[in-house]
Amino acid sequence: MTTNNPYIPMPVAISKVIDEVDTHDIKTFRFTFLNEEDGKNFKYLPGQFAELSIYGKGESPIGIASSPTQAGYVEFTVQRAGTIVPGLVTAALHDMDEGGTIGLRGPLGHSWPIGFLEKKNIVVVGGGFAFTTLRSLINFMLHDDNRSRFGEITVIYGARTPGLLLYKDELAQWEKRDDIKTVITVDKGDDTWTRRQGFVPAVCREVAPSPKNTVAVICGPPIMIKFTLPVFFELGFSKENILTSLEMRMKCGIGKCGRCNVGYKYVCSDGPVFSLAQLEELPRDF
Amino acid sequence: MLKKTTIDKLPELAAALMEKGTLVAPIKEDAGFNFREITDTKQVDLIFHNTIISPKSAFFPQVEDFVQYQTGKSILEAAPVELNLKPTFLFGVRPCDVKSFQIMDIHFSGTGVVDPYWQKRREATIIFGFAFDMNEVADAAEFYHTLGIGAADPEGSDIFMVRKDDILMLKVITPKGEKLMTGLSFLIDASADEIKYFDDYIAKGHDYKTRYTCVDTEAIAREFEAIFDNADFWTKISDACLSCGVCTFVCPTCYCFDICDETLFSQGTRRRVWDACMFTDFTLEASGHNPRTKVYQRLRQKVCHKYSYHIRKYGVISCVGCGRCTRYCPVNIDIFSIVEEAVKAKWYKRL
Repeated sequence: MTTNNPYIPMPVAISKVIDEVDTHDIKTFRFTFLNEEDGKNFKYLPGQFAELSIYGKGESPIGIASSPTQAGYVEFTVQRAGTIVPGLVTAALHDMDEGGTIGLRGPLGHSWPIGFLEKKNIVVVGGGFAFTTLRSLINFMLHDDNRSRFGEITVIYGARTPGLLLYKDELAQWEKRDDIKTVITVDKGDDTWTRRQGFVPAVCREVAPSPKNTVAVICGPPIMIKFTLPVFFELGFSKENILTSLEMRMKCGIGKCGRCNVGYKYVCSDGPVFSLAQLEELPRDF
Repeated sequence: MLKKTTIDKLPELAAALMEKGTLVAPIKEDAGFNFREITDTKQVDLIFHNTIISPKSAFFPQVEDFVQYQTGKSILEAAPVELNLKPTFLFGVRPCDVKSFQIMDIHFSGTGVVDPYWQKRREATIIFGFAFDMNEVADAAEFYHTLGIGAADPEGSDIFMVRKDDILMLKVITPKGEKLMTGLSFLIDASADEIKYFDDYIAKGHDYKTRYTCVDTEAIAREFEAIFDNADFWTKISDACLSCGVCTFVCPTCYCFDICDETLFSQGTRRRVWDACMFTDFTLEASGHNPRTKVYQRLRQKVCHKYSYHIRKYGVISCVGCGRCTRYCPVNIDIFSIVEEAVKAKWYKRL
């Protein structure tokens, strides 16, 4: 039952752990495949996810944070869950060090629609921790092989405080480049923060990206989404040109266990990426 | 090829099948009939109406072990559990339940990623369908006629059986069934009269009426979409619901499952177990968010899944009208009535 069994995870080793935020509850884990064959077969695109699997604890569906242009490994940024629901898998993972081994099932779900995004201007809007698959998308688009396939790239990324911004080194690198406009904001700065302060929706209104030949890719906490969408509608973006990624409780990740449906769509196998136009057709059950 | 034997010779047939593999058949238990693996040929009992639990567990057992592991050891030492299936004979399945296998096939092996457990168990199994006794009055809970299923539909079975008093007639339906039947040499040929009786019986299957309401697949999907936001409707029909989940456990087409790790000391098994959308934590996310905290939202999910989402996704209703959910619901919630009410809901604001 090992070959082609979608329920059996592939073994991977933790090759790097990055403590992302000053609250130390979000870490990026870099994994390398223990079987070379698995690594070769693990072909993914930005926006897809995988099940991180720890025997004795369970499995957790997590978006892939690295870009397929980064060969040889795959990265996931994981928040330690547990304030309300005990997060067995994420807690166990956070307690592991480099060299530890876990299981991985994937890649799962649909990616950001790269074909649809090609030749268009891309506005990436992210809030807080929900920036991981957006980071994958940005690094994918910025890669030398891909940059010419996309128009202007604008990134608007906000966190509650400066210490909660993810991928700080990469943000600094993007800010230095002239082929991507990077706008970083925090809800409230600290003593050392000399830059932009303000909520993501307000910053979007200020930056005011043109809807012409442009797709907005938006991920963030529900409250950010709620106030950001009206800004994009005001700017003239159509529902077909606003993309987001949904989360639901999942188990199998392959559309079999019946858990993550919104209407007739399974978020795992039909999503997690949806346009607002697609979401509009589904019942409000998420 | 129509063969026959007599009911009192069932143990002989059971013994022949047990010699070739695993026999799963209805047996009489304290609470009623259920499909069980047969260990004694005298257990097989065909004088029943239908089983309490559906026969889906033959392909989708309540517990399916995936992997055995040891905590504290490398994942490389974890061992997937092999199925090692013997040929299996699923004996005495009612036509509506046979239909449920075809509906489940679409989900588990016909679309998207193939579920290897479902597929392997399906491949290893020969199904003996068994017509309902049309001399009995139809069970009050059943409504398979509403879903276009007859009391004697052989479709989907490998061998189909009809009982006439103490005679059991068996007809080959598929090549898989034929191969088996030619090996069962003690079965004797049916007479010309019996062949006629058998054919007439199958033809009559659609005249045998269970509860009936007109359900058009496309239209019913739309009806349920239209009343999704009608909280009054859903609250009223779910008022008595205890969220016990029995409807999903006895259902032949409910397939939701959980994957969980059970560890005792350092030895553990990762397995899938049946789960149900009727339970509060079914959709509880790690963040604490839960989209279905209310009873009506969960009952709505179950009904809409069967009569709307499944149609949109796979083109068929995910219900065979076997009546089990109604029969075993402790508070008499009846999905057939919900379907009827849903059709009326657009005419009456409050029902």
